[in-house]
Amino acid sequence: MVRTVYSPEYCLQYLEQYASQENFVLGLILGQVTEARENIIHLARTPEEKNTDTGSESSYVSEKPEAVRNLLGVSEAWVADHAKHVTRMLPGGMFVQGIFITSDEDIFEDPNYFSKVKSVLNYTHKTLSVNQYMYANYPHSNERLILHMSTNTKVLTCKSIEVGVGKSTSIKNVDWKFVPKAQQWQRLDCYYEFDDVYPVIVKKSGISVKQQFQQILESAYKTIESSVMFIDGELKDGSEALEQLIKKKKPKNSVKSAQDTPKSMHVSLFVPFENSLPETVEYLECDGSIHFSGVVSSSVFMYPKATVSETIAAVKQDIIRSLASRFTMHCDALIDDNLLPEEKVCFNEPPRRVLVPVGSLYLCDYLFPGEAPAEALLSVKELLDLQITEGDVICDVETPADTSEFDALDRDTSSEELLATPQEASQFMYITGICFAMFVLVVSIFIHYYDSIAVCISRLLSRS
Amino acid sequence: MSPRLIISKYVIERLSKLDTNEPTGCLYGLMYDGTLLVVGLSLEFFENEQKTYRQLLLQLPAEVELCGVIKFSETLSIESKPKEIFQDVDITDNPLFIVISKDKQIKAHFLVHDKFEETNYEVLQPEELWKQFIHVRLNTVLPLTCEATIAGVKNIMQNKRKKIASGQVSFHIDGTSIYLFGVASDVGVTGTSTEANIGELMDSLGPEQSSKKKKHSINKVEIVPVNLVLKTTKDMLSDKLVKTAVKMMTTQRKPAFCISMPLRVDTLAMIHRNTKLSELYTVLVEAACRSLRLLEHVLLEQLGQEGIGDGAGLRLPETFHFLPPEIGHFITRIVPKGIPDESMESDRRSLHEQLSLPQDRPIFRRGNAYTSNSAKLINPHEAIPVQPVKPDVAVALVRGRYTYHHYMQDNFNDDGWGCAYRSMQTIFSWFRFQGYSTNDIPTHRDIQQCLVNIGDKPSSFLGSKQWIGSTEVMFCLETILGVQSRIIFANTGSELLSYTPELVHHFERHGSPIMIGGGVLAHTILGVEYNSVTNDTRYLILDPHYTGVDDVTVVVSKGWCGWKNSDFWNKTAHYNLCLPQTKPAI
Repeated sequence: MVRTVYSPEYCLQYLEQYASQENFVLGLILGQVTEARENIIHLARTPEEKNTDTGSESSYVSEKPEAVRNLLGVSEAWVADHAKHVTRMLPGGMFVQGIFITSDEDIFEDPNYFSKVKSVLNYTHKTLSVNQYMYANYPHSNERLILHMSTNTKVLTCKSIEVGVGKSTSIKNVDWKFVPKAQQWQRLDCYYEFDDVYPVIVKKSGISVKQQFQQILESAYKTIESSVMFIDGELKDGSEALEQLIKKKKPKNSVKSAQDTPKSMHVSLFVPFENSLPETVEYLECDGSIHFSGVVSSSVFMYPKATVSETIAAVKQDIIRSLASRFTMHCDALIDDNLLPEEKVCFNEPPRRVLVPVGSLYLCDYLFPGEAPAEALLSVKELLDLQITEGDVICDVETPADTSEFDALDRDTSSEELLATPQEASQFMYITGICFAMFVLVVSIFIHYYDSIAVCISRLLSRS
Repeated sequence: MSPRLIISKYVIERLSKLDTNEPTGCLYGLMYDGTLLVVGLSLEFFENEQKTYRQLLLQLPAEVELCGVIKFSETLSIESKPKEIFQDVDITDNPLFIVISKDKQIKAHFLVHDKFEETNYEVLQPEELWKQFIHVRLNTVLPLTCEATIAGVKNIMQNKRKKIASGQVSFHIDGTSIYLFGVASDVGVTGTSTEANIGELMDSLGPEQSSKKKKHSINKVEIVPVNLVLKTTKDMLSDKLVKTAVKMMTTQRKPAFCISMPLRVDTLAMIHRNTKLSELYTVLVEAACRSLRLLEHVLLEQLGQEGIGDGAGLRLPETFHFLPPEIGHFITRIVPKGIPDESMESDRRSLHEQLSLPQDRPIFRRGNAYTSNSAKLINPHEAIPVQPVKPDVAVALVRGRYTYHHYMQDNFNDDGWGCAYRSMQTIFSWFRFQGYSTNDIPTHRDIQQCLVNIGDKPSSFLGSKQWIGSTEVMFCLETILGVQSRIIFANTGSELLSYTPELVHHFERHGSPIMIGGGVLAHTILGVEYNSVTNDTRYLILDPHYTGVDDVTVVVSKGWCGWKNSDFWNKTAHYNLCLPQTKPAI
């Protein structure tokens, strides 16, 4: 059977617009694959490559672009980097499924062009598989889409090739269908909470923030994978379709309102306690502790005919992917990876999640502490090629950390007295300073009036 | 209104055996359906101003609470110290006061408005007790990391108890889709009807089992396995939802030793079959908290000892549940892993005293611990229908548990020659279960090796299919277990009859299974029955020649384990009996 993908109609206009304006454009296909159906959610043009030859990791600040006019001039690393950044914005269950190209050449027929396409997809696949916790590559299939629109004929062709298998890739035809009506999505929400304290040895080597986050990520991965998921407070049969759950809920819904958007479902995760801990008592001499706390808000969007098991996988991916995204972004922005031993208390505040609307669903973005929602507009424009307004960004799914909260939290959890925090230290300095000044004053007064004081004292003594 | 009173038969029997010179006793029971059921008792010596019953309470299944006082007296007067015990009774407003007179008359009273009112009571037979009550066993592992100081442990354990009592945790009944939620959730139970009770759940879990095994059932104790899950997501609709994004704080402080270990919680609760699943949540929380208190006690005891704080001295606490046949309820003990039983004798001795248990045999060693799952049949003779007690018939049986070893087990074909080896294994299993040894049960080859080692057999014996007899069994028991045996010779099967009093004495004094060899056959004797009127003896035989599967129904109905008349023995053959002797130990 030919693979069929369903795409919202605005994607056609999107392609046509580029096909009529320019000769060559390349971008990413974002979508969701479920047993029931494969849906495309968005097409996002890869931004113009900067002419500086450094930094695949640098941000997409648009300088004067020197437009790439030809597929052969495209840098694989640049596209892969785009895919990496876009993946951070995708909720669980959604993936970069392939690339689209508008050009006047027939990219499938010309061997030069086709090998370039393969090379771009393979490079992207390789880049995305570096960090497993990003779930950047769709795990159940290695077949990636290539969608081509000829700028001359406006003819649309879609094929797929297998990536990561070397040279012998077979090309398969794909049936790309546009759906006029906006796709309905079943939204599922949860807040996953962390509250863990680990003892650490700070003095020896300080703490590598990157390493520490990696450890947290690994343990969170294990925990979340082992957890049991409830939907709307109940354990569901994994093979059941999501929409069945809603139908069951309201059996006697007489008023059939087709436009009635399905309500969001609430997800809860239950973690059985690990039985894989080593059966020993460990002794450590430690001089510090790490408190990792807060929430990851998760909103995933599923095709309503998707099964409960597919949904569970998507939610779990979402939480891990979000954690991994924040940690990577935080560590990339760090000036010094080491928590200096001189610091008594040190905070690391990774960027927080915000939601951005794309079509009939939400993708996400991350804001660093102090960044305004407008920052999200920039990345949406650059990475998703989409114009939204500041008011569209949903900023309150998570709130930034309040540093005073840290102090309160810490005093609660640790009975151990803290060494003086910098703030307390300065207070101490202040008081000591005043005391010293007072002392100097008293001494100088004493010296100044030494004679008269001596007289006074001798009088007092003689009297008694 | 004072509750209805039911006393377990076990308690009645133990009360009647108590030495009336003892000072005071405590009673333990549980409430269900307006009824107080007394399931256990202990003696209180008020030594060092300690109230030992408080510690003992942690070792009882959850739901079983202190419920009253026993007094050995003719009058209802009560001294101040026992009176303090009444203050600790929380389970009912009307504490129970049982008075035992010199002639062992048992009278029960409820304390109602500071006056004792005598009350009638029913006696609950053991079969009914095990039929009506179910145990729930909660197993989980809590990661524990804290400072290696007494304050550090106390603090973290208190936090753990708080967390469990806060309603954040949920429980999952193993192998079902049933989850029990706490107050933090708006639903109490999922996966079943909210009105369902635990008895119905048990029936639904193994319907074919219960109907089939009704006829021959040996596993009387029903246990529901439960584990603990922690909700890691927040309630979206809660007003108190704090949505602060994840962040990390590192704090540096004075260097200190920390311990990190998996804290294995394994705890029991005893509940009536009619208990609703929705009521189970609080029971499990209490069970978990009892276990945490007991674990804390074991950790603190270790930290208090010298040489622990500076290194790897601290050992993991290990939980064992015991069901001594005399007392009819579980006792839980937590001991440090790897510390030999021998060095913890004084603890056990005081527990024996407290529970007024015999001082001559181990009851609370690791080997005595209750095991519900065994590859081999445990005590198949208990599935034999009990005969009515006759006045002229004395019965003496094996005491404690053993496993049934017979031909063809362990994928080993010993059909035709291994019967004495199997009988020896059954005896060995008895010594293991009674806590005398922690050695593995020896294989045929181990037994042959032992006989070669001591010079009883040439090395060609190793790997052969040669039979062994009572003396070889005796040698092996002595070499491997350090157990001495008495050998009885009977020239004919009929002469065996004259040794009946010896056998009765053996079972009463030692209680171990006896191996008997005669002609080419070896059997295990598990008990004798002597009729003083007809002068007949019957023998409870466990036959190692069985080659079928370990199905207790087959074993009992086909007579592989059953009572045999004296004509079971060959009149003309010689018989040798090996009677393994026990040494007094705790």
